[in-house]
Amino acid sequence: MKRQLRYGGLAAAVVALAVVPFIVSDSLVQFGINALLVAVLAQGWNVIGGFSGYPSFGNSVFYGLGSYGTAIAMAQFQLPFWLALLLGAVIGTIAAFVFGVPILRLRGPYFAIATLGLSAVMGAVVANVPIAGKNIGLILPLFKGDRLFYELSLGLLVLATGIVFWLSRSRFGAGLVAIREDEDAAQVMGINTTLYKVLAFAIAAFLSAVAGGIHAYWITYVDPAGSFEGSLNVRMVIMTLFGGPGTVFGPVIGALVLSAVSEVLASKVSTVASLFYGFVIVLAVIFMPKGLLDVIQGVRTSGVRYFGANMRRFRL
Amino acid sequence: MSEALATAPVIFEVRKLTKRFRGLTALSDVTFQVSPGEILGLIGPNGAGKTTLISLISGTLLPTSGEIFFEGQRIDGLPAYKRARLGIGRTFQVMKPFPGLSVLENVTIGALFGATEGQERKRARAREKARELLEFTGLSRHTDHRADALGGPDRKRLEFAKALALHPKLLLLDEVMAGLNHVEVDEVVELIRKIRGRGVTILVIEHVMKAIRNLSDRLLVIHHGQQIAQGPVAQVLKDPQVVEAYLGKRRQ
Amino acid sequence: MTLFGQILANGILLGGLYGLMALGMGLVWGVLNIVNLAHGAFIMLGGYATYFLFTHTGLDPFLALPITMVGMFCFGYLLQKFVLNLIVRSALLNTLLITFGFDVVFVYMAQLLFSADFRTINPTYSGSSLDLLGVTIPYSTAGAFLVALLLAGALYLFLDQTRTGRAIRATAQNLTAARLYGVNPRRIYSLTFGVGAALAGAAGGLYGVVSQITPYIGITLTAKSFVIAILGGLDKPLGVIVGGLVLGIAEAMTDLYLGSTFKDIISFGLLVVILVARPAQLVGRA
Repeated sequence: MKRQLRYGGLAAAVVALAVVPFIVSDSLVQFGINALLVAVLAQGWNVIGGFSGYPSFGNSVFYGLGSYGTAIAMAQFQLPFWLALLLGAVIGTIAAFVFGVPILRLRGPYFAIATLGLSAVMGAVVANVPIAGKNIGLILPLFKGDRLFYELSLGLLVLATGIVFWLSRSRFGAGLVAIREDEDAAQVMGINTTLYKVLAFAIAAFLSAVAGGIHAYWITYVDPAGSFEGSLNVRMVIMTLFGGPGTVFGPVIGALVLSAVSEVLASKVSTVASLFYGFVIVLAVIFMPKGLLDVIQGVRTSGVRYFGANMRRFRL
Repeated sequence: MSEALATAPVIFEVRKLTKRFRGLTALSDVTFQVSPGEILGLIGPNGAGKTTLISLISGTLLPTSGEIFFEGQRIDGLPAYKRARLGIGRTFQVMKPFPGLSVLENVTIGALFGATEGQERKRARAREKARELLEFTGLSRHTDHRADALGGPDRKRLEFAKALALHPKLLLLDEVMAGLNHVEVDEVVELIRKIRGRGVTILVIEHVMKAIRNLSDRLLVIHHGQQIAQGPVAQVLKDPQVVEAYLGKRRQ
Repeated sequence: MTLFGQILANGILLGGLYGLMALGMGLVWGVLNIVNLAHGAFIMLGGYATYFLFTHTGLDPFLALPITMVGMFCFGYLLQKFVLNLIVRSALLNTLLITFGFDVVFVYMAQLLFSADFRTINPTYSGSSLDLLGVTIPYSTAGAFLVALLLAGALYLFLDQTRTGRAIRATAQNLTAARLYGVNPRRIYSLTFGVGAALAGAAGGLYGVVSQITPYIGITLTAKSFVIAILGGLDKPLGVIVGGLVLGIAEAMTDLYLGSTFKDIISFGLLVVILVARPAQLVGRA
């Protein structure tokens, strides 16, 4: 009974979100699209970083490849959007396999740094490719219909969350968690860690690439700096950590909450907006090292002492 | 195949197994066979190379030279996870639980993966199997506790339960009795016998002499990476080389 | 041949400065296991400090270095003591994030306070150079190179010969054991981070003499420091200087033969290649 209530509530929430663009202002719809897409990125990161314990700082590569794949297909080959999007997604996913196999051999911060390096290089490389419009980028055909993009983004987020939900219940997901907790033990227990890690990376890449493709068509252009923007990486990481890594809804909540707060601040004091993320990160790491969902649970069980306990655990 | 000891069936065989680490020879030319359902005790002074041998068998390490056979198939080149799928399970001397997960989840992972024959691909069924194993190893009251919150003896039991969840045909136990008192040691000995009763072949590294003497069918002695004796328990323990190398001042 | 020689010399000189930049990051990483994403911001702040000392008091940048270093040391010490020590034992990802947070804050503060204008420190001798074997060596770059080597040597001696230095090395090896020997880890951590900041500040001051300072130079310099620190073995000062030289020369050669677009990629490319090709030596550290 309780479970049906939860699912009902969830469905209602999705329907409510779907109805939003028909009743609010245009700028709010645009905010919504951005927030939904970044939430997708956060979920993607959740798969490789939250579940598998491999903190990627380079998922922006796949976002960018998805953007560019879609853009090239539409601008250079006049393909329809859905096909172009598929192409972008395929390119992003293949890249995950190609880069994943060597890079996933690294552990912890070395993996993070390698992905950072990857994301830095990719933008520069793309800027030199003629079919990608080099430094200038490409312009995509215009499609006026923010509402459609909104629904598309919402659909993608539902898909992403669905995938994460499946992970939380499946054998594959259990394997990823084992890898995160102790990779050597996981191997000895029969988990093909290399395959699993690469698949997780590919899932994250797929989601990021599709998000990139949708975004590209929506804003009708791609360029190296914007499509491979580095700050995306940190945003998706902080949102997932803020909301709760390894959970199903944590990244969504983190993304929506942080996007909303940042937007509100930006409209009040523009310079502060960037500072905002910096302060949030610092405070979040100190007071909520395990994410917002954990805070909610923790405060429920042990009240304010939750914060003290955490700080005592992690400080020197 | 090997002709020595050809009368008894062989489930597991190691031939001239050698492992070198940058100038240090951890293990050299170890050769032995194990029959199905047998308990082979592995003894020797600390640092002799016993854990290295276990790691070579489980696939955590790859040999410098030599061969390993399991059920007639050569396995020394296989990655660790494939060996687990074939039915080789091990415990770690320095215990490696999945720290953030509950005790139940720890064992469930073993049931989900592990030997291909015993695998449960559905999490719910795997969890059921895990519960049974927690009962079998006496960990039921810790079912939902975090694995890293367990004390020493319980951690050992957890290692056991995880290894059993793999449905192994060959179980490699690395000092599962260290730090346990008399009563606990006897419990573990019983447990191991029960497991053997299910048809599992067992390799035990142990320093608790009383236990390993009672438990083992045969003993293998390793000293400085070399095999210095092999055979029935009483015979090996009287071997002058063994006595000299290994003064057995462990808990009796 | 002379062009090659010139470029090579430039690469070596710059490489020395790069090495200095990476010293602090490697030290903090090796000892505290903190990968400081705000390291480049420290360099930037040191650069501004030296710049303002020069423009407001006319103090020669090389002479201003000690002042900058002391200031940055205090800054780093306090930051570690009151903020970083709180989370030092949590997952490494958290230290990455919190230092990233610092970076965001510092860069935007700098932008607010100093504006995005390019600043260069131009002492009287900044245009002059000497001629060595057909190669032109500007005085300032040569000075920067020498100071870099000097500081690296000083760090090496500090870690190797002094009691505090050895306490730092002990803490890096084994925190628990060091505690048993009476080392106060909080003080050591704060001290180490302070030293790292001071070295970064010095590098920044020198950077301001040989190049330009803006609030945004930090990110690229952090990235280059990463590569060099890994190449050099983290908290081994002499190795890190060599790593800096390697990168300096690699950049110079790439610029000469492949053009400037590739020059920026080379540090990252090198990074990814190293990490992937020699994981065995590094995995243990994680």
